[in-house]
Amino acid sequence: MSDTSRLNVIGRPLPRVDALEKVDGKARYVDDYRIEGLVHCAMTLSPHPHAEVLSIRTDEALAVPGVLGVFTAPDVPVNQIGCVFQDQPLLAAERVRFVGDRVALVVAKTRDIARKAAALVKVDYRPLPSVHDAEEALKDVAPKLHAQGNLLAHQKIRFGDAAACLAACDVVVEHEFEVNYQEHAYLEPQGALAVPEAGGGVTIAGSMQCPFYVQSGVARALGLDRNRVRVEQAVTGGGFGGKEEYPSEVAALAALAALATGRPAKLVFSRAEDFQISTKRHRMRMRYKVGADREGKLQAIYVTQFVDSGGYAGLSTVVAERANTTAAGPYFFPNAHVDTFIVYTNNLLGGAFRGFGNPQVTFAIEGMMERLAARLGMDPVELRRKNLLSEGMPLICGQALPPSAPSRDVLDTLAQRSDFDRLRAEALEFNRTHRFRRKGVGLALSMYGCCLHAGGQHLEGSGALVQVRADGSVEVNIGGTELGQGAFTVVAQIAAETLGADYARVRVLPTDTRMVADSGPTVASRTTIMSGNAVRAASLQIRSRLVELAASMLGCPSREVEVGNGAYRQVPVDPPALRPEVSASAPSPVTIDHPSSTISQANVRFPDLCMEAFRRKLHLAASGWYAPPPKPWDKDTGQGIAYSVYCFTGNVAVVEVDLIGGLVKVEKVFAVHDVGQVLNPVTLEGQVHGGIVQGMGWALSENLVLDKGRCLNPGFTDYLIPSSLDMPQMDATFVEEPYPDGPFGAKGIGEPSLISVPTAVALAAGDACGQLPDRLPVTPETVLRWTAKDGNGQ
Amino acid sequence: MTTIAFSLNGRAVQAEVEAGTRLIDLLRESFDCTEVKEGCGEGECGACTVLLDGRPVTSCVLFAWQAHGRTVVTVAGLPKQELSRIQEAMVGQGAVQCGFCTPGFVLSIKALLDSNPTPTRGEILAAVSGNLCRCTGYERIARAVEQLTRQGGSPCAP
Repeated sequence: MSDTSRLNVIGRPLPRVDALEKVDGKARYVDDYRIEGLVHCAMTLSPHPHAEVLSIRTDEALAVPGVLGVFTAPDVPVNQIGCVFQDQPLLAAERVRFVGDRVALVVAKTRDIARKAAALVKVDYRPLPSVHDAEEALKDVAPKLHAQGNLLAHQKIRFGDAAACLAACDVVVEHEFEVNYQEHAYLEPQGALAVPEAGGGVTIAGSMQCPFYVQSGVARALGLDRNRVRVEQAVTGGGFGGKEEYPSEVAALAALAALATGRPAKLVFSRAEDFQISTKRHRMRMRYKVGADREGKLQAIYVTQFVDSGGYAGLSTVVAERANTTAAGPYFFPNAHVDTFIVYTNNLLGGAFRGFGNPQVTFAIEGMMERLAARLGMDPVELRRKNLLSEGMPLICGQALPPSAPSRDVLDTLAQRSDFDRLRAEALEFNRTHRFRRKGVGLALSMYGCCLHAGGQHLEGSGALVQVRADGSVEVNIGGTELGQGAFTVVAQIAAETLGADYARVRVLPTDTRMVADSGPTVASRTTIMSGNAVRAASLQIRSRLVELAASMLGCPSREVEVGNGAYRQVPVDPPALRPEVSASAPSPVTIDHPSSTISQANVRFPDLCMEAFRRKLHLAASGWYAPPPKPWDKDTGQGIAYSVYCFTGNVAVVEVDLIGGLVKVEKVFAVHDVGQVLNPVTLEGQVHGGIVQGMGWALSENLVLDKGRCLNPGFTDYLIPSSLDMPQMDATFVEEPYPDGPFGAKGIGEPSLISVPTAVALAAGDACGQLPDRLPVTPETVLRWTAKDGNGQ
Repeated sequence: MTTIAFSLNGRAVQAEVEAGTRLIDLLRESFDCTEVKEGCGEGECGACTVLLDGRPVTSCVLFAWQAHGRTVVTVAGLPKQELSRIQEAMVGQGAVQCGFCTPGFVLSIKALLDSNPTPTRGEILAAVSGNLCRCTGYERIARAVEQLTRQGGSPCAP
């Protein structure tokens, strides 16, 4: 598989399959759907972080001309929603648990009317004491959000005896880290359209990552069989995890409105609503204790961490499992003890976000490596190198690191490519000669388990439908989705390569629950592997039929047929001496009466082959399915096979800090990724660039401010995502060590592209100021505190 | 209600608008210009960019009546050849991911190149700084503009 020299489509910088219509504006996002009789929804949201709902009066809203209905909890057939735990109402009945909890849904002729009427729904609340910190929420005196109390779950890793080992270690370092929320800030807000269907049921189109989650979520809330809920993904304007679990709620609300009014209904969030009520990257507090011997060999890690779930569970336990399992980063520890507490609070909802719990623990473990190196008087890069996991070594979950784990190559490539030692020397030199500006350099590594964790492996199977038309054009449906990351492009490449079809004539159709079996979610950097393997499996079935046909047309045994470059051709595999006998017994070449046929004795073009296949009534459609082997997992000890394969990443960041204003400017970011095999260098690099800039935002400027659970900066005016002027120079390098179970050896990239960036940037900012950061983001205020403390910039 | 008249994508049009009607709503709802996207509603993200008398503006913070007597151009109103040139550059350079911000970028880029056919990289980045993109990290968008500014520029290596 590592030999890609014979591949025609894989590995090439081919243009995206969906780009043209995005440039000329014809691509249809959900708010662009035009439909007869459409009505619009708006929500009435709780202004309180925690309150009892005493009464809801809808008469005033209902009296607004153009309002068709106002719906509250009793109107929801099954008012218990949630991806993992059904602990959340679609519309709150007796109690609200965060600012933005929905209490009513207004449906009106226009969006404007709906929003105005939603503000007229009168809710009588009795405010309750609220809790806004995960650790505080675990205390006896804290107000309880749910009957079970505020501890949603406690996850563990028990590997060796970390406590005993730490007591005997030469060196022990201990530190606490805290990271803030991050908002996805996809440019297209959440939105869904629901169309009631004759005979019952509903068709959903929406902005989403996971149509099958939406299907099951809507079916559950509306009390429908899943086969009455058809979900088609609209062109989706970014997701980053924010459209993993959340769109099920948006779609269920639209479906409720559609079924109640009998009209197509649309719900599109305003940006402020999206900030306040959709999910965020989890705020976490992490206490780390790491022990090593005098030579810097790591001995034990002891972690206690708190994940703020917000008012409901959502996917918090699933996100936390990744933080739990990869708490030790890419390093070998013979002893590990991790306690991860997932806690209800009256804050915003935590949820899926690119990296999924891993960027948080990467910040902590890399911070520990820096501190340990300082304590040992060792070079921090050397300390990392000395303790890096490599193939076959046990992770803290006890799993032996599976093949395709070039961790050392990643670190060495990163050090070379960035010329790390020279960068550091240059920064020192700069700092010697500048008074009010400082340069700093930071390096961070990470390890990411690709595809779903063992705990979610029941969702891991993924399907595809490939259909080859008589003219040689190809239609592909996958269960995964395109949210901008390039999934449709790489699966088109996989289909074209496998079938020998023309890439430009492969169409990947919008993901639709009608076309493919439940394929799980488009998350966990799994779509290239899962949908890619499913497309390959389907394509291989069709290809073998076409090979048989080509063999009969070419008059050769099928094992002599080679596929590639738009044709099926005979490539003799037998020694020349034997060939005459074979040809003598073979049927004479078939003549094709298609006008464009260019059959030669040794070559049949793909379109001609397809036309002939159609005439011979061959079945040129196939569905493919891929499911990885089972992963045994013991929840009580956190031991087992956590992930099928791992991706290693390294980043180096160079920053310049203005000591007077406290601003940190990221100058350069180097990224080295272990991707198995490059399928498309353009889309791959695009993922890396996007991950760098999004990660940089969390490290520095994206600071979500909450006041008792209310977001004080719910918009792009005050929540600063990086603009073009913030973009650093970026350098992406890929290490290829094929993953045997990946399509053409590929692994995922979506999340690894971000994970260690925030840490590298924060370490660089700290380096410039002679500090080791332990909070994210590193705001100008942080920098000014640092510099005031050590007298820099005076 | 007031009647306004303006040029939309080269066509003379009229509309009845209320004083508070936003330009974006008029374009999307009355003229079906769904290529104008709403990303934030506060003039920060640039997804709703249109050209007003040739200058890029965010149509979510303009009143519809402000277009009266002026020319409005959306991405659908660009001359075909010019659009396909920009398309080729953006697609070829991998400047498009989710695409929601893309029509807005195209218009900011057009306005830049109309006034400055040979911008430096710094000028390019400044010209699109009112357009937010969460997917690409901006690098490949800048490369697409650089390709457009090179006379007979060849598709760049990845």
